Amino acid sequence: MNLLLIHFGKLLSFIFRTLNLGNGSTWPGHIALKINKHFIHDLLSQSNVKTILIAGTNGKTTTTQLIRTALEKNGKRVIQNESGANLLNGIASTLLLNANTIGKLDYDYALLEVDENALPLILKEVTPDYLVLLNLFRDQLDRYGEVNTIVTKWREALTKLPKETTLILNADDPQIAYLPVIPAKAGIQSGSPIGVGDDKRIKTPVLYFGLQSSQFSTDKLQHAADSVYCPKCGEKLFFAKIAFSHLGDWLCKHCSLKRPKIEATKFTIYPLSGLYNKYNVLAALQVLQQIGLTTKQIENAFEDFAPAFGRQEIITYKNKSIQIFLSKNPTSFNQSYATMRELGATNLLLVLNDRVPDGRDVSWIWDVDLPGLSKFKRILIAGDRAYDMALRIKYEDCNDFQTFENLEEAIEAGIKNIGKETLFILPTYSAMLDVRKIITGKKIL
Amino acid sequence: MNKQLKIGWLYPELMSTYGDRGNITVLQKRCEWRGIKVEILNIDQNTSDQQLKTIDLLFGGGAQDHEQAIVIKDLQKKKKSIKELIEKNVPALFVCGAPQLMGHYYEPAIGKRIEGLGIFDMVSKHAGPDKPRLIGNIVAKVSSHIIANEVKQSPDDSTQNMGLPRRLAPRNDVIVGFENHGGRTYLGENAKPFAKVIKGFGNNGEDGTEGVVYKNAIGCYLHGPLLPKNPKITDYLIEKALEVKYKEKVHLKPLDDELENKAIKYILEKF
Repeated sequence: MNLLLIHFGKLLSFIFRTLNLGNGSTWPGHIALKINKHFIHDLLSQSNVKTILIAGTNGKTTTTQLIRTALEKNGKRVIQNESGANLLNGIASTLLLNANTIGKLDYDYALLEVDENALPLILKEVTPDYLVLLNLFRDQLDRYGEVNTIVTKWREALTKLPKETTLILNADDPQIAYLPVIPAKAGIQSGSPIGVGDDKRIKTPVLYFGLQSSQFSTDKLQHAADSVYCPKCGEKLFFAKIAFSHLGDWLCKHCSLKRPKIEATKFTIYPLSGLYNKYNVLAALQVLQQIGLTTKQIENAFEDFAPAFGRQEIITYKNKSIQIFLSKNPTSFNQSYATMRELGATNLLLVLNDRVPDGRDVSWIWDVDLPGLSKFKRILIAGDRAYDMALRIKYEDCNDFQTFENLEEAIEAGIKNIGKETLFILPTYSAMLDVRKIITGKKIL
Repeated sequence: MNKQLKIGWLYPELMSTYGDRGNITVLQKRCEWRGIKVEILNIDQNTSDQQLKTIDLLFGGGAQDHEQAIVIKDLQKKKKSIKELIEKNVPALFVCGAPQLMGHYYEPAIGKRIEGLGIFDMVSKHAGPDKPRLIGNIVAKVSSHIIANEVKQSPDDSTQNMGLPRRLAPRNDVIVGFENHGGRTYLGENAKPFAKVIKGFGNNGEDGTEGVVYKNAIGCYLHGPLLPKNPKITDYLIEKALEVKYKEKVHLKPLDDELENKAIKYILEKF
């Protein structure tokens, strides 16, 4: 049965591509799961492939790209799902399309990015060898509801994992760091403290990554920070130092809960700029070390690292330099903005869409911080919700900007007379694909 | 002239779920651009009743259920002071989760009923984890007295309507926003709705009402945030705050709201 689904799915995908009906990348998996809801489980258990799952609000694509680069450079065969296809149907499709004629996955590793909401469902079908949990930030409330809700669902899913899975967690994110503890009281009761009493731990081994104090930038919390309450007793957390948002050297003065011991805190090579990318590098480092790559092998791979699409990639368009920083929620925007400023940006194009992958509610742009906006030579705004972004800029007391209803015109205006300077673009997800289509002719690499 | 206003912001660290801060930003700027000085008072468990009495405009945003339960404990202690402000006609804006705490009670998805301050004659209940959240863009028509004087007095000029049918024209009483709530609110006999839903769900998806009004206090579910795209509401709140404080009729200098109109027009056309 599964073999039939695989062949049918491949045929379907071929038809889609031939008739140029777009990618159709999640349809084969969608159909397979409708017919056999354990399709993913069946396919993986029939193959020898090891699975690495990566979840978290920001950083999945870059972390996956780092791991893949190092694995492939060292002769491993890897399959990976497209970053937009991170729900059940996308993952099923990826596996299906890469299965061989007898229905097996003839690869060493399956690297799968997983959407926050889909993770508990995926973990019912997949027992990963490695599960990386990067962070949880406020993102797309219209799709995900609240951060607290996701944490509860994640913890529930983690308690069912066997000790064959290794968890790789961000120690600097209090909610993530505390996931391995099973609080005595089930669920989060409004108003009552959680986790007091006999807490148990989940069975899987856990490794932590995080930054050293010297790397932290400040001790003041940004406006967009969530998770400022102790995941164990509910009291306000104290931060000696902060990297950004709610990530940092945290401690609860009430119940003494603090950052766990961290195994990976630094590396010799950080192929991408920005404090936020250090976390992605450390997470990838831990996975690669566990797999058995040497430091030299990992260093060599990172030296040659090419960024994932939209994540700091530099593209030359009409002889001008453009750098894209995907910015899809307050934390991601704040970090992109800060990093771009560190790189000396003076030409900025903001592109705001509100399609399904971007989150339909654009209220989040009022949670971002825009220090030093007046230092930009050129500020351009485009996207479906350009006027909403224009209002955000106007209310920063900045009137020196241009708003465009047409993205191509905005890009042209951005590079006009720019000389050797770079045009920095901060787009939401679908806007990033639109930008790439215009300047490279393709939406994805 | 040199007027000034003190804006009280309820528990900003706990109740700033999704861009709610934008409402404060816009209130502040629209005052400052007119030469009105603004002071923001962050209200938390350390704020005294004395301090609360000095507020000219009150604002409260949304919070996740867990944070909401923490807030209500302290808010109950401040109930008398807050009620006094509202009865004195001090304007207030409560968005998203905040109005639920200002009604009689709120029944969350998990846990027991949360007693509200009873400022608005209404009750709110979470529909339960199996019922869908009410999510999407929303267009509504505001009761005519809740718009800034300057807008009411402008001529009914069709060129101002930007080519849209008069009832949807930005210069009239139409507001836009985005709603996202599991809770459903039901108004009691003594409560007046803030707006009538043209498209979207509103308070409960059943009776066509959105939000609630009592004296100069407004409760409403709209994200967006509410105020950035709806300057007529922002200016209404500023006017009322000045009128109550300085005991004189106020006409605010009109500001250039072309961007706001374009932003509203986009929603009205697409949605």
